[in-house]
Amino acid sequence: MLMENINALAEELEKQELEAVNGIASPQTYERLLAIYLYQNDLCNAKYLWRRIPPTVKAATTELGQIWAVAQHMWQRDFAAVYKALNTVKWSDTVAEIMMLVQDKVRSRAVDLISQAYSSITLDTIASMTGLTIEVVGGACVEKGWHVEADTHIVHPVRPKIENSGHISSEDQLFKLTDFVSFLEN
Amino acid sequence: MASALEQYVNTVRNLSSQGNYRELCDYLGKSNEVLLKNAPHLDNVLETLDLQQHSLGVLSVLCAKFNLPNSANTADNKFVQAQDFINGCNGEQIRLVPDLFSELCHSLTAYLIEQKQPMKGILLLKKAISKLQLYDSQLTLIHADLCQLCLLAKCFKPALQVLNVDITGICQEGSHGPNGAQFDAKYYLLYFYYGGMIYLAVRNLDRSLYFLEVAITTPAHAVSHIMLEAYKKYILVSLLLHGKVQMIPKYTSQVVNRFIKPLSQPYHDLANAFASNNSVELNAVLNKHTEAFSRDHNLGLVKQVMTVMFKKNIQRLTKTFLTLSLSDVASRVGLPGPADAERYILHMIEDEQIYATINQKDGMVVFRDEPEKYGGPEVLKNLETQLALCMELDRQILAMDEEIQVNPQYVKKASGMQDEETPSKSTYAM
Repeated sequence: MLMENINALAEELEKQELEAVNGIASPQTYERLLAIYLYQNDLCNAKYLWRRIPPTVKAATTELGQIWAVAQHMWQRDFAAVYKALNTVKWSDTVAEIMMLVQDKVRSRAVDLISQAYSSITLDTIASMTGLTIEVVGGACVEKGWHVEADTHIVHPVRPKIENSGHISSEDQLFKLTDFVSFLEN
Repeated sequence: MASALEQYVNTVRNLSSQGNYRELCDYLGKSNEVLLKNAPHLDNVLETLDLQQHSLGVLSVLCAKFNLPNSANTADNKFVQAQDFINGCNGEQIRLVPDLFSELCHSLTAYLIEQKQPMKGILLLKKAISKLQLYDSQLTLIHADLCQLCLLAKCFKPALQVLNVDITGICQEGSHGPNGAQFDAKYYLLYFYYGGMIYLAVRNLDRSLYFLEVAITTPAHAVSHIMLEAYKKYILVSLLLHGKVQMIPKYTSQVVNRFIKPLSQPYHDLANAFASNNSVELNAVLNKHTEAFSRDHNLGLVKQVMTVMFKKNIQRLTKTFLTLSLSDVASRVGLPGPADAERYILHMIEDEQIYATINQKDGMVVFRDEPEKYGGPEVLKNLETQLALCMELDRQILAMDEEIQVNPQYVKKASGMQDEETPSKSTYAM
C-alpha cells in the first residue's frame, strides 16, 4: 500500500509545503517528505529540503535531525553507519513505516552492489554493508547460491545475468519505422 | 476620494466596458504619476474595480503600490492583493501589457526576497507565467524571477517543471508600442544562468552545461556580469562532466574571447592543472586561487573538481591495465591508501563510471570491458526518442525558415540582391 503510493504521497507533501501559510509547513510534512526522499535515494532533494526547513522547526522536532543523520551517512555511502543511525532511533508513527522501507532499500542496493563489484569478499565486509550479523549473512549467501569458503570466510558472489525485459508490439514498431522512413525520405 | 483618482476609475471602467483596451493602455501609461501622488487612497480605488473586468486598471494600481516607498499602512496587504490579482486576472487583458505585468512580478519577487519568504511566491509566479504564456515553450520575463525564488528557497522541483520545457519562442513585450519589440536581455541571461545553477544543484550536469552554454553564446557587444559568471561556471561544469573544458561554439560573440577569458584566469589555471592529471599540481592551483574561488562562491564546485580528478585517473588506468592491486591503484592515482582506492572504485562501479570487480582475498582489481548493451530493446527505445527529437527540431527549423521567407523586410532585401545571386529557396530543407 504505502510502497505503491509513495511517489504520489511525495507529490502531495511537496504541494503541501508550497501552499503552506507563511512558507512553513507542519513538522510532520517535513519529516515524511525527507524520509521519502531517502527511500527514493534522492539525496540532492533531501539535502535541499533539510536546508530550507526553518531552524525553529528543526529545533522543535528532534526526529528531523535524526532522519537527516541517516541521509548524511547515505551521502557518504557509509553503509554501516546508515544501519546504525536507522536502528538506534525508535521512530515515531509518522515515519516508522517509511524508515523501514528505507532500510530495505538500502540493503537491497548493497547486495546488488556487492554482486556487481566483488569477485571475492570477506563475510565481515558483507555483514557491515548489509547491517546483518555474520550468521545471518552466511545463510543468506548460501541461499543466493554464492560460494562461501568455510575456513577463510571468503565469499564468492555470483554476478546476476542482465535480464531482457519489455516487449513492444510489432505493429507499434512498424508504425514508428514508417514514420522515420517517411521523414528521412522527404 | 481625490477627484483625479475618481477620473481614473471612471476612465478605466468606460474604456474596459467598451473593450477599447489599446486606448486604455495609453491612458495607463500617462496616469502613473496620478496614482503615485494619491498613495493613501489606492486601496479604495482597488475596491471599486473588478479583477476580471478591469484587470488592466488593477494592474496599474498594484504596480504603483509596489513602487511606493514602504510605509506602515500599505506594507501588509500588497502581497495578498497581488496574489488575488494574479490568480483572478483576465489573461487576455494582461497579455496586452506584458511589460507592466512582468514589472509587477519583478516587484513581487524583490518584495518576497526582502521579506525572506521566497517559498510563498513559487506557485504564484508559476501561475503568472502560465497566464502570460500563449504556449508552454514561450519564454517570459517572469521565468528568471521564478528561478531566482526557487534558488533562494532551495526548492527546485517546481522550477524544473518549467526548465525542462525547451524554449522555442519569446514573449515579445510591448510589441504594440511605438518602440517596437524588446525583450530585456538581462532577464534572458538570468533565466539561463539561474537555470544552469538549478540543474547543477540537482546534479543534472548535462543540462546545466547546455544552459550555461546558451548564456555565454548570446550575441553581445559588451561584457555582462551574468555572462562572466556563467563562463566561470561553464568551465567548472565542463570539467566535472567531461573531464576537460569543452570548446566554446564558433558563434560565440567576440566579447567572450576578448574580455571574459582574461577575467577568468584562475579558472583557466585550474583547467590546465586538471589537464596535467597531477593532483599535486591541482592542489597548488587551488591553494593559490582559493580567495578568488570563494569570492565567486565557487569553492564547493572547485573541490568537487578535485574528486573528479581521482576518478578520471582511475578511469585512465582501466585503459592500460587488466588487473592491478589496490595499493598500486592508490599510489598511481595519488590516494593515501588501498582502502581509499577500494572506496573510490566501489562508488564508481555503483555509478557505472567504470566496469571492474574487486577481489578482496588478493587485494586486486580486475578491469572489465563495458558489457555489451547495444542489442536490447532499451537501445531501440532510446534511438526512437532521439529520432523523434530530431524530427521535432527539423519541424521547428522549417517553420522558422518559412516565417523568415514571408517576412516583408527579408523579401525586400532578397529581391534587391537578385541580380547578383538567387537566394536558395529553402536552405534548411532536407
